[in-house]
Amino acid sequence: MAVSPCSLLRLHPGSTGSIHSIEGMNPILRRRLADLGVFEGVVIRLKGKGPFLGPVTLECNGQLFAIRRKEASRIEVNVS
Amino acid sequence: MSSIALVGNPNTGKTSLFNTLTSSYEYVGNWAGVTVEKKIGSLKNGAGMLIDLPGIYSLHPLSRDESVAARYLVEESPGALINIVDASQLERNLLLTLQLLEYGKPTLLGLNMVDVASARGIQVNPEVLQTWLGVPVLPLVARTGKGSGQVLSLLKNSAAIPAVHFRLDYGEPAEQAIAAIEKMLPAGASLPDSRWVALQLMEQNPVILQILKSQLDVTPLLAICDVCQSELQSKKLALTLPQWIRSVRMDYIRSLCQAAMDTTARKPHNLTERLDALLTHRFMGLPLFIFFMYVLFKTTFDWVGGPLSDILDGWISGPISDGAGTLLQYLGASSFAHALVVDGIIGGVGGVLVFVPQIFILFLIISFLEDSGYMARVCLLMDSTMERMGLNGKAFIPFIIGFGCNVPAIMAARSIEQPKDRMLTTLLMPLMSCSARLPVYALFAAVFFPSRQAAAVLSMYVLGIVFALILCKVFSKFLFKNESSIFIIELPPYRLPQIKTLLRSTWEKGKGFLRKAGTIILAGSVIIWLMSYAGPGGLDVAMDDSFLAKFGGLIAPLLQPLGFGNWQAGSTLVPGFLAKEVIVSTMNIIYHAPDTAGLETQIAQVFTPLSSISFMVFILLYIPCLATVGVIRKETASWKWTFFSMGYSLVLAYIVSFVVFQGGRLLGWS
Repeated sequence: MAVSPCSLLRLHPGSTGSIHSIEGMNPILRRRLADLGVFEGVVIRLKGKGPFLGPVTLECNGQLFAIRRKEASRIEVNVS
Repeated sequence: MSSIALVGNPNTGKTSLFNTLTSSYEYVGNWAGVTVEKKIGSLKNGAGMLIDLPGIYSLHPLSRDESVAARYLVEESPGALINIVDASQLERNLLLTLQLLEYGKPTLLGLNMVDVASARGIQVNPEVLQTWLGVPVLPLVARTGKGSGQVLSLLKNSAAIPAVHFRLDYGEPAEQAIAAIEKMLPAGASLPDSRWVALQLMEQNPVILQILKSQLDVTPLLAICDVCQSELQSKKLALTLPQWIRSVRMDYIRSLCQAAMDTTARKPHNLTERLDALLTHRFMGLPLFIFFMYVLFKTTFDWVGGPLSDILDGWISGPISDGAGTLLQYLGASSFAHALVVDGIIGGVGGVLVFVPQIFILFLIISFLEDSGYMARVCLLMDSTMERMGLNGKAFIPFIIGFGCNVPAIMAARSIEQPKDRMLTTLLMPLMSCSARLPVYALFAAVFFPSRQAAAVLSMYVLGIVFALILCKVFSKFLFKNESSIFIIELPPYRLPQIKTLLRSTWEKGKGFLRKAGTIILAGSVIIWLMSYAGPGGLDVAMDDSFLAKFGGLIAPLLQPLGFGNWQAGSTLVPGFLAKEVIVSTMNIIYHAPDTAGLETQIAQVFTPLSSISFMVFILLYIPCLATVGVIRKETASWKWTFFSMGYSLVLAYIVSFVVFQGGRLLGWS
């Protein structure tokens, strides 16, 4: 199952991946994501993309939240 | 008297429970960050004080509302804690719970939203939680009040809540560090549980660090942390000490959840899935939001609010005014008293009270939006626009609250993470047209644009938002040097607001308006009336010779280029700074109008359609009211920024009104 990690944004809306790494993200945002239970190894789902290249909606442990596309691209996931 | 603090993650229903356990009422809504201040109420059974704190994810605060909660736990010493957890988000919520248990105070665990959880196929076993954590666990549905009886009866005897003896083993290197730090903490100091303090310090909690710094030299303590961290690194356990502590907790929570939760029937929140597919649709989302806003104004002005206001106006100007007149005559009151009551008080205060139906309907719809979960989606929809302007979408929640009143809206900005974004939101808030400005638009729109009232009023609100966005760009570029902003928002599940909650929160918002009618608007009306009744030539002078006319005449020349250079308009602006509602009551007094219809006729003679637009724009923008200035000062803690917010709005109002009026004239309008 040697899949190379890809950016979270490459997922098809509705599909999931497990987080491989989160790098180069604004530290405040990084902490807030950690508060919501977003860490390496956790399964995350891309729910949808907002209007005008706006934020993407994500789901992690049943919690829905949105962050900007630029920041979401810092999250690398493994698709199994 | 013992005080009990409510602590938990944001949007888990702490304030809902607070409202049922105490006889007070505080602001509730369906987004993270509704409560931004510490609220105190007394328990219904008299067992002590209950403290409602803003929601926190951890004891390490990021935003200002969170630091209120974190500081409370460190600096004050509550007798007991009620930790509210969301049963449908147990894993995330328990991370805070563990830290609260380590805090060592007697704790109750309120397992809230068990109804939401079971609708999503999640069953949580309270007995298992109770056994593992060693604290009483009570299932709750705080919105309906289910289970709050048990909480009250447990709190009745709060001394009987057993002390917590929860202790997690953090592994040898960390445990050694904890013990070493504990030894070095000053004995007998006013600090919470020493193991907890040690752990928080190791997690680099800035609040704890600051407190410790004020009491002792922290260098040796930090050295212990560093040693521990390098030991963890060399053993390849974790990269940093905070990460290690967190992972130990997470492991414990995972096994606890496996034991206490049955998620075999877990299913997605259907309603939320379906609504989000539509409401946050990439193309449909924004048009739908604009459509909802249009419906909001249509309902407020055309469909429901307007007709109700007309009925009320009929009563005030008819039976009430006549009745008061007859009564005064019967009592043999002087003509002075008669004029004061009928023209001053009933004319001035009544002229504003007429708009109560419209304002309450606006509040009702805003309350509905707040409680439904849609507010967070609006932030999501607006973020890309806001980002281009140098702010983030989260500022939109305060902005919408600002349509009701700017004061709570500025408080709501506390939940925004970055100081720069918070400051921008606060500074721009006065451009959000609050309900006090609404009577002015309603009045002028009824005179000059009778067939398009809702559209005319809506355009004022839109204009406010447009200028907020433009200035946001300018301020962000020149004052804050384009510091980047971040955006993250939790999207709570949608829910249908309960009628009881809706009525309650509408009343709480509208109450302030009625209170103002009885205080500042009443006082303003009496003073304005006296100034219009008296003049240099004595009492009961012709209006044009009154003090009010003299005073308004001083300002009038300045307003000439804006199209309303008469003393009547000029004299409304200064009292309007005290409270914007007074603008309309002043007009009622000046024009001696017996009812709204009479006032409309008078206004039609003094203003033209073009100058009325210019006047409405000026009122929209010209200055934050006194109460707003107060809260800006409090939240920014700076007179410089407070004066800046007053100054820029005055300049902006003058320029925009000038352009509207002169530009309109060039185009041949009148």
